[in-house]
Amino acid sequence: MRWMLLGTVAVLALLASVVLGPAAVPLSELGRSDIVWNLRAPRAVLAFLVGGSLGVAGAGLQALVRNPLADPFLLGLSGGAGLGAVIALALHLTGPWVLPLAAFAGALAALGLVYRMGLVGGAALDPRILLLGGVAVGAFAAAITTAIVSLADAAELRNAFLWLWGGLSAASWDSVLLLVLYAPVPLAVLLAAARPLDLLALGEEPARYLGADVEAVKRRVYLAASLLTAAAVAVSGVIGFVGLVVPHIARLAWGHRHRSLLPAAFIGGGALLAIADTLARTVVAPRELPVGVVTALIGVPVFALLLRRWTIA
Amino acid sequence: MSAASPILRMRDVRYRYPGASQDALAGVSLTVGPGEFHAVLGPNGSGKTTLVRLALGALIPAGGTSEILERPARAWPRQELARVVGVVPQREDNLFPQRVRETVLLGRYPHLSLWGKERPEDHAAIERALAACDATQLADRWVWTLSGGEYQRVRVARALAQEPRLLVLDEPAVSLDLRHEMALFELVRGLVDRVGLGVLMITHDLNLAARYADTVLLLSEGRPVAAGAPADVLTRETVERVFSWPVTMQSVDGRPQMVPLRQPKEPVA
Amino acid sequence: MRRLLLWSLLLVACRPSGRPAAGPALTDAAGRTVPLAPPARRIVSLLPSFTEILFAIGAGDHLVGRTAWCDYPPAARAVPSVGDGMPPNVEAVAARKPDLVVLYHSGPNVTAAGQLARLGIPGVLLDLNRLEDLAPAARALGRLTGREAAAESLAAAMDSLAARPPPPPFTSIVFVVWDNPPIIIGRGSYLHQLAALAGARNVFDDVTVPSAQVSLETIAARNPEWVAVLSDSAAPPAFAARREWRAVRAVRDRRFLLLAGSLFGRPGPRSSQAVAELRARLEGRGVAPR
Repeated sequence: MRWMLLGTVAVLALLASVVLGPAAVPLSELGRSDIVWNLRAPRAVLAFLVGGSLGVAGAGLQALVRNPLADPFLLGLSGGAGLGAVIALALHLTGPWVLPLAAFAGALAALGLVYRMGLVGGAALDPRILLLGGVAVGAFAAAITTAIVSLADAAELRNAFLWLWGGLSAASWDSVLLLVLYAPVPLAVLLAAARPLDLLALGEEPARYLGADVEAVKRRVYLAASLLTAAAVAVSGVIGFVGLVVPHIARLAWGHRHRSLLPAAFIGGGALLAIADTLARTVVAPRELPVGVVTALIGVPVFALLLRRWTIA
Repeated sequence: MSAASPILRMRDVRYRYPGASQDALAGVSLTVGPGEFHAVLGPNGSGKTTLVRLALGALIPAGGTSEILERPARAWPRQELARVVGVVPQREDNLFPQRVRETVLLGRYPHLSLWGKERPEDHAAIERALAACDATQLADRWVWTLSGGEYQRVRVARALAQEPRLLVLDEPAVSLDLRHEMALFELVRGLVDRVGLGVLMITHDLNLAARYADTVLLLSEGRPVAAGAPADVLTRETVERVFSWPVTMQSVDGRPQMVPLRQPKEPVA
Repeated sequence: MRRLLLWSLLLVACRPSGRPAAGPALTDAAGRTVPLAPPARRIVSLLPSFTEILFAIGAGDHLVGRTAWCDYPPAARAVPSVGDGMPPNVEAVAARKPDLVVLYHSGPNVTAAGQLARLGIPGVLLDLNRLEDLAPAARALGRLTGREAAAESLAAAMDSLAARPPPPPFTSIVFVVWDNPPIIIGRGSYLHQLAALAGARNVFDDVTVPSAQVSLETIAARNPEWVAVLSDSAAPPAFAARREWRAVRAVRDRRFLLLAGSLFGRPGPRSSQAVAELRARLEGRGVAPR
């Protein structure tokens, strides 16, 4: 029943994002329209994949760092991605895929740095340090980014910030294909960690005695969730609140068992971002809202309600 | 039953934490077989929890061996080990609110495949574990609404749901009142006698250990002071030396019971 | 209360104003008064348009500082740069010992003008967003430099350009400022005026603000004949190679207008030249991009 409802919402969200748009396309021409086929459809699919990836990454990271308020972008990746993009612009690298690739490389560098910081004593991954190290690395990368932008004389550097919040404007079948090829591996790694993640909620030592290979699980979950987030930032910039709020909504309906929670967070995150992007494209047409504004407008009130629940419970 | 090979066997185990100047544990040997209740006693900081970690392969001994079913504890894959040994750790906290049946279900995880759903036998094991711990009526309660005693019973039920051959309990009676404390020890003793479970219990409660355990090991500053039947180990001299407090010993049901005296007359060596 | 009054009197009396407020003065866009006499002889211009106007009215000799962006006329390059001016480096400006600083009217520049005033350096804040701002700016700069006559003839030319009725459009255009997210020029912008005077309809003339984020599909649906970008390079913009942009017909057909920022990116004395050149490019005359 819950799954049917969620599936229906997801299908409706995808349909809506293909049917609705600022350009008037008659229903009878939907199948033949270049706008629908080359712009709306890939954008809808990309929104779904990115939203789903962020939902799963957020659910996994919240269990890993044992902090229900963790967001995938909290771990320094957005700062690294921004720095990568700005460096590419400063070096005058050109090409259609330069910015996404540079942002991805920057996110990976931040990931590696945070991971290294989190490996306390070279062996055990400490989730608390991951969290603090992520915030620190993100702030540091943002500082370097700002320094480069204010020192360089190329005006377009200032637009790197725009790019980082660009949302799904750059969606194409190419980016969809990239994500379709890339995302399944980290998604599968996270899904395979569903049971150990349940155990990890009790703490590391109890989880170990209940059969979880705790150190391996922590590494896998951190790397997989971060790789998903890095890919999301490369194809669609920083989109906040999906990875934070969706896991909580999924927990309300599906409980805390990651075996069902993770798939629900994927479908729910996908549906939420598809809806948010449709709203972003249509409500102020011909202008467009940054999709992050819409996810924040939806996400912050939900988040505030959840915060109340957490503090009361 | 006592003739069966031991489940846990530790021989002359030694361990030192990285950077520490002396061994946290040294010269410790013990065995726990099926149907045996073994208690490890000692004051705070005597190395009891280190001993549990070594026994379960969470730490690697610097000397000696720690084996479970004749295989080094460290060599066991965690999931396989969790089908043989169930643990009630001293501390845990639930990140997310959970119902009792859900938390007991976690005890079945070692028996499930990566993606497989729980099978009927898993649900049967959960119900058996709940019944064994007199917790069936708690099954649908939220964990955070339980009293301390109820929560301990649920945690023992979760360890039983693992269907282990050895049950390890680390200070299970801390913060329990008299009734719940006694009920917990009766429960554990009953499991030992009825289903032949081996039990390794860490506690600093001498009297309860003396009443219920078959054998006790007394630790002091990481060294074994005495081991054997409670009546042989828990003599007045030994207890006073290890706990640095004058006591008098009595006997109840043929087991030694310790009563601490007021105000030391003179420092005890 | 009395003490407060005394203090405020004292503050007013001590307010640094550079020169005495007696005599004729000019009220700038921020409502501040700037004395007109004596004429400014050491000027720092913090906007390329102002630099061009000052040279056009014959006051270029009095420039002692400019921004890094001030590249026209060529003589401007000989004037020392005080940085990119966004926001102004107040110390670098003050080091030029100017008797007048001309600033574009914006929030950060109001702050900078206040800081300069505390150093005893008069600053004037002028609007310069659209064609109709040119003539008032030229007249103000003429009065401040004592070159009213030259300024008036430039202002008259600017007024007539701003008042010129646009010709009937024979083509359509979109100005793309940034590609991800797509940001375009709307009716509120100078570039929109340029396009209209050159005979091109801005397909986003229903967007009232100077610039706005839009969806790619809106650009595709409005199907402009030309995609214009401000660029000093002869190569088509990077987004031309991105698949999603190929949904826009003009991108598929590679109908890009690459407009040099120095000529097209700012209102100034060369605006009528920019209109003429844009018209020529739209008609397929002039220098075609490779």
